Amino acid sequence: MFFLPAGLKAQNSGFVKIPAGEYWIGGRTHQLNPLRKIRVAAFYIGQTEITNLDFEAFVKATSYQTDAERLGNAMVFEPGLEEFKWLRDSTAFWRFPNGISRGGIEDKMDHPVTSISYADAEAYCKWAKVRLPTLDEWEIASRAGAKSTYFWGEDQDKINIYANIWNGRDHLSADTSDGYLYTSPVGSFKPNALGLYDLYGNVFEFCEGSLKNDSKTRKVVHARGGSWWCSRNSCSFFNSVDIGRVSPHASFSNQGFRTVEMTLE
Amino acid sequence: MILNFKKTRYSILLTSLVVLLFPFMTSAQEELPWKEASPSSQAYHKYRQKNTVPPYGLARVKTLIAAIKPAEDETWKLSNKTYMALSLREKFTYHMIHAEVSSQNCDVSPPILDEDKKIFGNLPDAFDEAAWSERQDNFLLSHRDSVMALISASVKRTNRVGLNYKAAIVAVNGKEMIPFLIETYKLERKDYDLLTVLMLLMKKGEYKPFMTSASFVKLYGSKSTYLSFIDFNKANEELIINRAMAFYNGLR
Repeated sequence: MFFLPAGLKAQNSGFVKIPAGEYWIGGRTHQLNPLRKIRVAAFYIGQTEITNLDFEAFVKATSYQTDAERLGNAMVFEPGLEEFKWLRDSTAFWRFPNGISRGGIEDKMDHPVTSISYADAEAYCKWAKVRLPTLDEWEIASRAGAKSTYFWGEDQDKINIYANIWNGRDHLSADTSDGYLYTSPVGSFKPNALGLYDLYGNVFEFCEGSLKNDSKTRKVVHARGGSWWCSRNSCSFFNSVDIGRVSPHASFSNQGFRTVEMTLE
Repeated sequence: MILNFKKTRYSILLTSLVVLLFPFMTSAQEELPWKEASPSSQAYHKYRQKNTVPPYGLARVKTLIAAIKPAEDETWKLSNKTYMALSLREKFTYHMIHAEVSSQNCDVSPPILDEDKKIFGNLPDAFDEAAWSERQDNFLLSHRDSVMALISASVKRTNRVGLNYKAAIVAVNGKEMIPFLIETYKLERKDYDLLTVLMLLMKKGEYKPFMTSASFVKLYGSKSTYLSFIDFNKANEELIINRAMAFYNGLR
């Protein structure tokens, strides 16, 4: 029997409470995410990314059709591509994240859902009565009180303890050195001090919010963390500071999301 | 949720402690202030991002792009029939101003401090949230001589090699353009991404004097990232130009 402090949710509930308060976020030299202190209200954030099983429940309940299914525009990966090169595959969608020829998710229901767009994530959130974290909330949660680039400090070499990333020098040949070519079951790697898993790996996570250099003429959305595709020698955005950007209707097989519970706020 | 949590009393208590101390941990520390990039660095960041709009059949191509079925996905492409009806020059213009697929969300070069004093190992992303499709890559490769000729003619009119042109030169491995690129660079000596193009061409050509250099290790070695750079200074500028010319001369 464990006695948890008032306000802290039990760990098996799937959400962790982040208390209201002032937090430092950003980086001292980061031009798009400047170092600053912000005040946030309390919020509950998912311990893990939304899984294929979670998303399947949504699709079964609503018959929702994802952007990738409607537009045939999913971007997929296979080893052998140059850095940042992806293939457009009209057969790919969340049930076949890298296209039908590269297999489905039958035995991957505990992996994060991928090949879904920001618009799809928003639809899921509306149905599940949850929401995406804001850019600031995601960062506060990922830091777990740390001021450093990573929640454990500045030593990038520890990334493999906490995240499913790409350990190869490039993407020209397959990398399964951590046991996974693509996604891994959520919670397979060590969590941060708050019990949040896969923050810097597995899949990039959509967030709400904008950056000062966003286009004024089109909607740009942002994702944070890192993914199974991310490597030390390419983008290396698997940290608490950097912020990615993507089209709201683009679907990638390294792109997913976690949610914030609204009813508990 | 399917999770294989191996929670222990210790970890739960530790988590609880972290949560309780959380706001205090972050606010009780002394902070160095945020450093903003200088105006010249910010201006150079914008300068680096600029594409060149080719003149070839531009009005027609723009009209066709505007007529692409408006969709939520901004990476729609011209139908095969419409695309095939374009002349080679018009196809070139189309590819230089419109990318057909989505770009990975970390394929981004954020502004950094002293950007105007750095020579990067790689070019920024030329099309924001979009990228060239296989069809577009294939066009560039299969018409590389024409692509290089069209870029050269366009650059001669403006003395500027836009980011899209630089990306195309690298994509077609346009090593034949090295003297022209150096000549263009020397007009103003301020577009250090032209030096980046020279280095990428030497890298593609596996030019040994470059591949064994200290700058290669820093920019492309095992500890490098996509955003690695070397400082801009006269010595580095000269070294890159001289090496690139030696590489070019060795090709003939």
